[in-house]
Amino acid sequence: MLVFNDLHKRFGDITALNGLSFEAHPGRILGFLGPNGAGKTTAMRCVFGLVNPERGQVTWNGDVIDEETKLSFGYMPEERGLYPKMKIGEQVSYFARLSGLSTKEASAAADRWLGSLGLADRLGSKLEELSHGNQQRVQLACALVHNPVAAILDEPFAGLDPIGVEMMADVLRGLAAQGMAIVFSSHQLDLVADVCQDVVIIDRGSAVLQGEVSELRRSSPTRFLEVEVDGVPWTGEIPGVAAEDNNGRHRYVLGRGSDIAPILELAARDGEVTRFSFEPPHLTDLFREAVQR
Amino acid sequence: MNPLRQTLELAKRDFTQRLRSKAFLMAMIFTVGIVAVIGPLISFTQGGDETSVIALVGEQPDGSEETIRQQSELLEIDVQLKRFSSLTQAEEALTDGDVAVVVNGTDELVFNDEPSLRLSAAVSGGIANAQRMINAAEMGLSDADVVSLLVPIQFSERTIEPAETEEDEVEAIAALVALMLLYISILMFGQFVMMGVMEEKQTRVVEVVLSRVKPAQVLIGKVVGIGLLGLIQMVAMGGALVFTVSVADLADVDLTGLGIQVLGLLILWYLLGYTFYSFVYGSLGATISRQEDMQGVAMLPVLVILPGFFLGQMAMLEPDMMLTKVASFIPFWSPMVMAVRSTTSDVPMWEVLVSIAIVVATTILLVRIGGRIYRGAILKSGGKTKLRAAWRSADE
Repeated sequence: MLVFNDLHKRFGDITALNGLSFEAHPGRILGFLGPNGAGKTTAMRCVFGLVNPERGQVTWNGDVIDEETKLSFGYMPEERGLYPKMKIGEQVSYFARLSGLSTKEASAAADRWLGSLGLADRLGSKLEELSHGNQQRVQLACALVHNPVAAILDEPFAGLDPIGVEMMADVLRGLAAQGMAIVFSSHQLDLVADVCQDVVIIDRGSAVLQGEVSELRRSSPTRFLEVEVDGVPWTGEIPGVAAEDNNGRHRYVLGRGSDIAPILELAARDGEVTRFSFEPPHLTDLFREAVQR
Repeated sequence: MNPLRQTLELAKRDFTQRLRSKAFLMAMIFTVGIVAVIGPLISFTQGGDETSVIALVGEQPDGSEETIRQQSELLEIDVQLKRFSSLTQAEEALTDGDVAVVVNGTDELVFNDEPSLRLSAAVSGGIANAQRMINAAEMGLSDADVVSLLVPIQFSERTIEPAETEEDEVEAIAALVALMLLYISILMFGQFVMMGVMEEKQTRVVEVVLSRVKPAQVLIGKVVGIGLLGLIQMVAMGGALVFTVSVADLADVDLTGLGIQVLGLLILWYLLGYTFYSFVYGSLGATISRQEDMQGVAMLPVLVILPGFFLGQMAMLEPDMMLTKVASFIPFWSPMVMAVRSTTSDVPMWEVLVSIAIVVATTILLVRIGGRIYRGAILKSGGKTKLRAAWRSADE
């Protein structure tokens, strides 16, 4: 288990991490969320010793991460970059060797990964000759080529087209199913809700909400109701119930366990009810609520 | 995993990737070519060993050919005598450049454009001797008397200051070439290290690398990989230098020994000088992430090393002057100045060893300072990182 334990870090006057604690479990995907500048990248860099926290530590199965353990992790930094003029096959196998694989193993693993990411026929191409999306695939291959026990991916979906997103999501699901602990940061909350079992939301350097995505949604005291009558959004007044505009959509805010039968009746008086959705908050709602913005 | 294996892996990448670059190969062929051409060029321009053909026309006293040869030998001119049946033919050969002088009878020497005093002396001395021998025989002197009459007076020579031999001249040329090679190689491969560090920062790949290895390993790997490349170039250029010196063949002595000595010095001082400066370059490279910032930053080490280049030239002329002696112990300059002093004069072994020890000790210090600056600056984004900020950030 990968544990971020009470991490504190300041850069001059800026507090990047302020007692951040959370856990990532093998076989599960954890979405690491937070507004820009919340401290996500700093926390991820702490895993690899790229940033030294003033207090707190990151541990793997109870032990502080040393050089050897570090090599059994995969990392995809937010600031993407590889060697532009190096052939991608050589490049991926180079990083595998740096992680401790023998020349033969590294070469085989590079071929296998690039093949599974659809780049089998580009092994001899230089990185700079590839499209942006394909470069991102190579970056992922470099992070995972040595078959790590845990992967820390900083915004792995950023800049990918829908096909790329789907491919990346499938890869991550597959790896988690094989027992890898995966932590990835993202601003695409729908995607996180779709891919992750667990989520941590951080703000100003500390965790403000964490847990299993489905459980967090279920346990929220808030429920949202959206109604359509004759195919158009229904905006009728419900006594004692607040309404709000959610990205142009009218919705009512209720408590968990509210009696919704009278509302359905009320709406039915105006026509045929074509949609009646009573749901716990989406991850986006939880996020907004947690960071209070 | 063994950190040494990782460092070698890093070095190997820098070595092979740069070796494959066309720019490097072109630069190498060009520089090695220049060094290899210097020797034949010197040999050609000096032209000291050419045989001068003396054309004989008309009548000269009997035995003149033999005496002209003897006189030429005394004057250290390599000559060949050739008899022509007419003056016209001989002068034609003279204009064609096949002949150096035409001896017309006993009263005229014809040169093409510029009379040669030495040839003139050899011919007139030789003919005069032949005539004297005939005269002496007519006077009834025995052969032995004639020979003793004509024995030239030979002075032994000595100089107050140590004599300047042609070998010294070759040593000076070798030292100059060595100095230039050291200066160029230290700067060139130092800048390759800087460029490599800067590119890794610019392309942001360094964060991927640093998630696997320590910053010091990256810097050392780069210095080793590029240094090895430099060593290959140095050996190639040194080989060309040995070739050049042996072809130049100025002093009629075998200079291969000198060539090998210079090659040894080159390799030793290149390794010391390059390692010293490459850590400076490497740490400076970490403070920039744009090509356009490179020129300004790359100037700093040049300003430090440049006096060493001039002091090296001074050491060529005055290897035992106090200034050059002192400079050969200052680590910024000793790789060049001591290399030159060792080539042109007999520097005591202890001086060389002390100089090496100082460079090594300073380099170890630089590895620590440079490593810290590298660590503090390499992950900083944005424009230039100030050295002080890099130093302070190293613990973050």
